[in-house]
Amino acid sequence: MATSKLQALWNHPAGPKTIHFWAPTFKWGISIANIADFQKPPENISYLQQIAVTCTGMIWCRCSTIITPKNWNLFSVNVAMAATGIYQLTRKIKYDYVSEAEAAVEIEG
Amino acid sequence: MATSRFQAFLNSPIGPKTTHFWGPIANWGFVAAGLVDMQKPPEMISGNMSSAMCVYSALFMRFAWMVQPRNYLLLACHASNETVQLYQLSRWARAQGYLSSKKEEEKPSQ
Repeated sequence: MATSKLQALWNHPAGPKTIHFWAPTFKWGISIANIADFQKPPENISYLQQIAVTCTGMIWCRCSTIITPKNWNLFSVNVAMAATGIYQLTRKIKYDYVSEAEAAVEIEG
Repeated sequence: MATSRFQAFLNSPIGPKTTHFWGPIANWGFVAAGLVDMQKPPEMISGNMSSAMCVYSALFMRFAWMVQPRNYLLLACHASNETVQLYQLSRWARAQGYLSSKKEEEKPSQ
């Protein structure tokens, strides 16, 4: 039973013998890089790059399910990409705009 | 002729009515972001992100070729991104001092 399941997984059209497995697997590197960068100061965040990460993540959730072979690994990594991208963008926006608002309040106060 | 070609493009199985078109368009955002970030000082570059992008685009060039329907737009996008990100990575590495061994060697000989 277990052997035949492993066999099926191994020989799957999107399994580890194919690029359909390894390309999405390494795409996790982008989300992991973003997570590692959570520790860095937000002023270094690139708006355009993070918007690209978020948009790509969102659109490719859909793409993953309509390409042949259907690719759930690619789907899940793109969910993670969209999530980490949105978080980085909120950090950047908070840093750029909310900080200004707080500074303005302090000046008035 | 032009109308029928445009019509064919619109109705293509990888045309703008499908995400096979818009997925790669979103990916071109990485290329645009990389190009814009070339204007920024290398200290702003995330080594983590540039390294991950280089590996990602190398693998996805192959992926774009193998997936059905084959996606030439995605292939071109990742080839461009690979070029841009390798350049960004080299700028970052230079700024971090990883490529400075030559300079260090040159100094004693001067």
